[in-house]
Amino acid sequence: MATRHTRPRPEPPEEVAFPVTPMLDMAFQLLAFFVLTFQVPSREARLDLYLPAGPVALPGQGKPATGPTASRAESDLETSLVVRAEADAGGKLKSLRLGEAPLPDSEALGDSLRRYAALLEGRPLRVVLVADDALRYEVAADLVGTCSTAGAEAIHLADPTPKGEGTGAP
Amino acid sequence: MSRRRRGMGLTDPNLTPLLDVILQLITFFMMLIHFGTKIEGATRAIRLPTAPAGLPSSELGLDRLIVAIDAEGRLLVGPETLEGRSAGSWWADEARRRRRGQDVLGDPDDELPTLVVLRADKEVAYGVVRRTLVAAQSVGFAHFTLLVLRSQH
Repeated sequence: MATRHTRPRPEPPEEVAFPVTPMLDMAFQLLAFFVLTFQVPSREARLDLYLPAGPVALPGQGKPATGPTASRAESDLETSLVVRAEADAGGKLKSLRLGEAPLPDSEALGDSLRRYAALLEGRPLRVVLVADDALRYEVAADLVGTCSTAGAEAIHLADPTPKGEGTGAP
Repeated sequence: MSRRRRGMGLTDPNLTPLLDVILQLITFFMMLIHFGTKIEGATRAIRLPTAPAGLPSSELGLDRLIVAIDAEGRLLVGPETLEGRSAGSWWADEARRRRRGQDVLGDPDDELPTLVVLRADKEVAYGVVRRTLVAAQSVGFAHFTLLVLRSQH
């Protein structure tokens, strides 16, 4: 007579309870922290200008100086570009020039500055902005922002009254 | 009916969807917390110009002086409105006060380390802004920040 083997019945899988409550507590705490410290995101941005007290020397303007000031001015000549902006009667941009090269708008200015900055191979690019006082600040801020994003490390705001000749531009 | 009664025993609520929503909210707030925030002194009277890029406004130093120029070209310093000579003397007073502080700290220098944050209306003439900067520059301020709105493109 054949013996009948009875297989042991498999035990039902042990149910593991995942404790959600402590995790939820912590999540609520984090949520409370972020809600309380939340500030409305803003589109505000800043354009940094370093304007030391000394007068801004336009490249190609004035007499050649001597001594340590002269050597600094010479090094400035290599990397400084003059951006001239003229305004019409309504304060809008009438003409824009980089050195002596006329440009149609601020985008073209940005492109030219970017190309020039690439030519400088790491040397700092400085921009002297000579804009008419009648120009609307919105236009001037756009020009400053364009110069800044194009890689200008220093932007000087020059007095437009003394008319001087600028350096050549690419 | 009997079946329904049987089902009304003590049951655990399903917390998983709630947890999902909360984690999503946390992620949302965490993503936004690093964005630039408004600097103090924001007012509806000043409409900032739009300019490409610029640095986020949240990384400013503690030593800062916040001024505004309205559409009429007046200098706004907190509740005060300054024009002409009063603006010039205000810059001189501020520079003197800060210089005194620097002397106490033993760090006398012609150039003040204070960051001047300028919030100027977009309709004002550039000449007004430039002359304001020159007025501040002439008394020793050298570090300036122009506040703008980041352009969308």
